[in-house]
Amino acid sequence: MKTLTVRVRRFDPDKDKESHYETYTVKVNEGARVLHVLHAIHDTMDSTLAYRHSCGSGQCGSCAVRVNGEPVLACMEEAQNNITIEPLNLSVKKDLVVDLLPTLETISSLKPSDALKMPTRSDIDMIKPLRDCIECLCCVSVCPAMDVTKFLGPTAMRQEMRLALDPRDSGDRVVDAVNEGLFTCTSCQACWKACPKNIEIPSKAIEKLRALANRRGFTLPRHQEVAALVKETGRSVTRIEPTFMELVNAEVIEPKGPVRATVGFFVGCMYNMRLPTAALDAIEVLKRNGIRVIIPKEQVCCGSPLIRTGQLAFLDTLKKRNIDAFQFRNIDTVMTMCAGCGSTLKNDYKTPFVVMDINEVLTKYGIEPPARLPFKATYHDPCHLLRGQGIREQPRQLILQVVDLVEMPSICCGSGGGVKSGIPDEAAALGKRRAEEIKKCGADVVISSCPFCEFHIAGHTDKPVKNIATVLLEGYMEKDRKKGNLIAS
Amino acid sequence: MLAGEVIDCHVLVIGSGGAGVRAAIEASKYGDTVLVSKTIIGKGGCTTMAEGGYNAVLREQDSCGIHFEDTLKGGAYLNDPELVHILVKEAPLRMGDLIHWGAVFDFTDTDEIAQRPFGGQRFPRTCYAGDRTGHEMMTTLVERLDSSKVSLLQEFTVIDLLKSGESVIGAIALDERGDIVLLKANSTILATGGGTKVYDISTNSSSGTGDGFAIGYRAGAELIDMEMIQFHPTGAVFPYDARGRLVTEAVRGEGGLLLNNLGERFMKQYDPERMELSTRDVVARAIATEIQDGRGTKNGGVYLDVTHLSREQIETRLPVMLEQFLKFGVDIREKPMEVAPTAHHIMGGLRITPECRTTLPGLFACGEVAGGVHGANRLGGNALADTQVFGKRAGEFAGKTEKRVKKVNEEQVKQQLDLLDSFLAGSDNPAGIRKQLQKVMWQGAGIFRNAADLNKTLETVNNLSTAKIRAETLRNLADCSIVKNMCLTSSLICRSALIRKESRGAHVRRDVKQTYDAQHSPFGHTYISQIHDGIEQKGAGT
Repeated sequence: MKTLTVRVRRFDPDKDKESHYETYTVKVNEGARVLHVLHAIHDTMDSTLAYRHSCGSGQCGSCAVRVNGEPVLACMEEAQNNITIEPLNLSVKKDLVVDLLPTLETISSLKPSDALKMPTRSDIDMIKPLRDCIECLCCVSVCPAMDVTKFLGPTAMRQEMRLALDPRDSGDRVVDAVNEGLFTCTSCQACWKACPKNIEIPSKAIEKLRALANRRGFTLPRHQEVAALVKETGRSVTRIEPTFMELVNAEVIEPKGPVRATVGFFVGCMYNMRLPTAALDAIEVLKRNGIRVIIPKEQVCCGSPLIRTGQLAFLDTLKKRNIDAFQFRNIDTVMTMCAGCGSTLKNDYKTPFVVMDINEVLTKYGIEPPARLPFKATYHDPCHLLRGQGIREQPRQLILQVVDLVEMPSICCGSGGGVKSGIPDEAAALGKRRAEEIKKCGADVVISSCPFCEFHIAGHTDKPVKNIATVLLEGYMEKDRKKGNLIAS
Repeated sequence: MLAGEVIDCHVLVIGSGGAGVRAAIEASKYGDTVLVSKTIIGKGGCTTMAEGGYNAVLREQDSCGIHFEDTLKGGAYLNDPELVHILVKEAPLRMGDLIHWGAVFDFTDTDEIAQRPFGGQRFPRTCYAGDRTGHEMMTTLVERLDSSKVSLLQEFTVIDLLKSGESVIGAIALDERGDIVLLKANSTILATGGGTKVYDISTNSSSGTGDGFAIGYRAGAELIDMEMIQFHPTGAVFPYDARGRLVTEAVRGEGGLLLNNLGERFMKQYDPERMELSTRDVVARAIATEIQDGRGTKNGGVYLDVTHLSREQIETRLPVMLEQFLKFGVDIREKPMEVAPTAHHIMGGLRITPECRTTLPGLFACGEVAGGVHGANRLGGNALADTQVFGKRAGEFAGKTEKRVKKVNEEQVKQQLDLLDSFLAGSDNPAGIRKQLQKVMWQGAGIFRNAADLNKTLETVNNLSTAKIRAETLRNLADCSIVKNMCLTSSLICRSALIRKESRGAHVRRDVKQTYDAQHSPFGHTYISQIHDGIEQKGAGT
């Protein structure tokens, strides 16, 4: 047996105006789950603690709660010391019990046609991954779009796709999905990562529904403009100033000192054409650390703006062009700086080369320590880096070498999934929320590692927003300045 | 003057598992139907946890006759033949309903519903949806329910049936705040599922507290074969809080081997022909014996080993097992699982006619709460079929019943209110009583039984049922009602186990010598009600 102390959020609608936290110390068995801590509190200390549970084995979805801010199934999550247990991000009825019914009622049901049209084996196999849902509502709890729009949410969209695939259903699910907010999803993937059944809602439901919507002519006009631009120019944004590639004007950039590694650089539309300075800063940091960089000219848009919005018509052309550009040069490692491009190359392409984010490259080879800078920073996790690529620690390891770091919750900035161009009000609402979190954590500077995040957050906060390479470079400049002073004195 | 809200309808369904939801869908064709559940519909109960499959005769090479014989043999010939006949005949039809409503069962390469072999059957007739068949069925049924006109009362706990004379006219329930609601109905269907949560080690969800057996008994209904408890041979053993979690039969179906602490495949001593794929009662007894005789593991189980299977086979055929065990620190591709028997299913229950009528006018029963379908031992895959076949029949025949005059007996309601008041004034922790009950039932009314242990257990159970359990607030009243129901269900199990002085199917009386086999037993059902209890006697050879 072992003793654990936990904090639980309590709320009694008959007595309390607001919720509050209570701390409990209980004895539980080795290997106990969070649910058993709740049982111990209820059975031995306070029988008024309200919480749901049923199967105890991760199959019914009754016991979903948040532990240290993340939704989990209490019956499967191992209990640790000093955790905080709260209800899901839904209307609270009492303590850890939330009102599930209003959300459950929005999930569609199959409308059988009068004549039964049987599915085939391949229909069944397509539907099956979408069927595992136990309606625990963990995904709903984390969806940022639902907080600021009337979006029905991830599992509702999952169900629309499941129904769209089934010949027995007589509904028009694509139309329903569009009306239920299909285009409000920012593709942040929080739903997938929170899902205890690991259902890939963004790629298997949202993007597929958007592709079906595209065939029916429902793609948002603004998204169609972006696709037309990519088709014509190979880029998803227009040229308004000299691009990074024009400014660099070289295909191979040799490092200072010996070559420790060579990477191909997949620049991406946003760093190339909207934030070239950040990319130039990255080149300086890479040069300083012995990384030779090759920048093939023929690279074009990675295709992510098309994939996320369901416009797949000439995606294969883009993929081939990009893969060829690096393959012709026998490049075995391609580095991305844009989180979206990196996630796309890793997950939506089949590449003959390895794809690494710049944070992975710099931590793999290690960087020359910069001087420390005197401000407090916070780091905004780009969704396509944190969840799309599983990269959380490396950016932090790099940042901590230069500045002090305060954390804020990792929530989407609002500009992904075509939302910034398609539904700007929603992107703005989410951007504003990031600004509030930034203010709350007390940071002087916001650091990120994605051009969409940097661009969008900068538009909503008065704090400076900097790419991680920019901050590292500032550290090097400070180091050189100090050394210069030393030499001078 | 009656406390709380009153609802009036044509059919009241109590319980929202596979049987209850199916019954409600059917009943709604005939009149206003209310479905009341103590959980969120689709989340509670055991149907949604079921992994194995749904038995149905679908292929030409199979026949209802064979399915009938398999079921009777598996049930040690204690089943009601008429109920079994209906089960095997209508299971395929109800499968058709599920498919029509969108159920996503696994298909073969030729686009037919896939079927796999399962325990005790001579033909592979178990339809399945991966290893989540029950969840697939519940998802389909709840969707169908949403498009029907059934009124849903969720997180309402029924505490007793309402009677007018001998007839059942509805039920009395507590809502989630602990306020009383009266539910009047022309017909009432009990579909409350099983009750093996009265045992310390059980596969059941937290709803498996046997409320329907207790409520039916208190109303005066007759129950049969309450001693027939199926102990599934393989439940998890480690960690402590995961004891009893179901480890599906499919693991043995895929070639899993049972080994004791000497590394022996001990099933050779108990059933050398069928080995690990013997019937559940035989395997459960074998494992229990190995453990009792000191050949078990340190954690009190035996080994179930799939390490000789390819990694790919484990990952594709047993993904849920792999995932669950990994979460608890065991990679079944590298190390054997530890398993031990766990209380799983109650074959007994309210006595029903083929139309699901109980012995009380106005009261129907279907699913695990009803008795007679599975006899003394249930075949894997027959329970899910049972929920659909008899759920539909209960809904249909309850729906077709005429209206009745439903005059609520105010004295009965007052008695309920008095009982609830006594909870509010109580002193004993209901959780403590519940845990004592579970331990004592596991020790004294488990796999191997004898009169002395059963009598001792019954005495303890009766004492526990008189405890002055306490409800801290109105919201805690439901918990107290449930603990009382668990005590009553436990006493029915013990009494029936004492009445059946033979070993039959899942029920083993070590203190009784017998020379006949199941087919030649002189005994029929045990029966138990408020006015009498006993065991049916048969003519020899009947």
